[in-house]
Amino acid sequence: MLTKHELLEPLARLRGNAVVITCMGVTRPWARYSESELDFASADSAMGHTADFALGIALARPQRKVICLNGDGSMLMTLGTLVTAAQAAARNLFLFVIQNDIYELTGNQPIPGAGRVDFAVLARGAGFLRVYSFDDANSYAASLPEVLSGAGPVLVVVKVEPGSEGPISRSEREASDYLKVSLADSGRRLRRALDAPDPVN
Amino acid sequence: MAQARLILEELKKNHVTHIISLPDNSSAMLLGLLSADRDIRLISVTREGEAFAIAAGLWIGGKVPVVLVQNTGFFESGDSFRGTITRLRVPLVCLITYRGYAKLVSWRLEARREALDAETLSRADLDSAALVTEATLKAWGLPFDFLHADEDVAKISEAFRKTKENEQPFAFLITQDMT
Repeated sequence: MLTKHELLEPLARLRGNAVVITCMGVTRPWARYSESELDFASADSAMGHTADFALGIALARPQRKVICLNGDGSMLMTLGTLVTAAQAAARNLFLFVIQNDIYELTGNQPIPGAGRVDFAVLARGAGFLRVYSFDDANSYAASLPEVLSGAGPVLVVVKVEPGSEGPISRSEREASDYLKVSLADSGRRLRRALDAPDPVN
Repeated sequence: MAQARLILEELKKNHVTHIISLPDNSSAMLLGLLSADRDIRLISVTREGEAFAIAAGLWIGGKVPVVLVQNTGFFESGDSFRGTITRLRVPLVCLITYRGYAKLVSWRLEARREALDAETLSRADLDSAALVTEATLKAWGLPFDFLHADEDVAKISEAFRKTKENEQPFAFLITQDMT
């Protein structure tokens, strides 16, 4: 099992100019590695709808990689999005499922199917052609360049240790810059960033 | 009733790039046209809540999406609509087919749309989806108008103008099957 540091640090180094959408237990930790205007926290948003939101961005900007760091509980809420993403053939979508088998923000209750649900199998069944699973830091770090270099949609399951993130708010009290502003302002910032000249990655 | 062809033309006038939808009988004609259309991409979803989140992402990426769902699907989309379209202030035009509208009108129950009771909501000769549609849109802060017939289709362009100006979504309730 990986720590969040082992999950996020290599990804922050390799993301290039990809959009990164975070949610739930990695929302605050990601902001310790990145201050990019291409980061967007799906916080104070619609629960369980991070992956489909990221899919929309990917379809709008096919030349831009979109990395979605989804929670396992969130993914369970919209499993149909696996089918939709595969059907839409979003070649630039890299959908990570951060599997810690708990609802971390609400007090670490187990998700349905904890210890049994296999997102890699679900993704293959939904039509994903590139699917990866990692439960140790070394193989994850070694494989990440390959994971991020090929065509998507890609599903990446990463088993991580349970954490202790509390509820997330959008307010000045949050340490992460991208949580200090409203969802609407965050959206405007990402729209501007996507419109700014940027080489294709 | 409104012709699907006219609705599609009006959407194209407003540079719509994507329609995200889950089919129903009322929208079948428009979806048929879209399946062969080269200008607007049709994205099929597994559940209507996905449609609003995808639309929000498309708008973030600079596209002009439209969501086409049945009123029942809109109910299913509640938190997705609230948490993405409303919170992000997406200027989204929604086309919502109004299941049960004909029965509502034939029983002259339009006036009771907002005065609902258990007896009315469980009547076998009525579709409760229709009874709660307009009250739901109002409760969720989604302004709306009606598309009854061809002469209403021109209102779509005005809605696009308003959504951009107000940074707020707008819905059309399509009251009869498209032809």
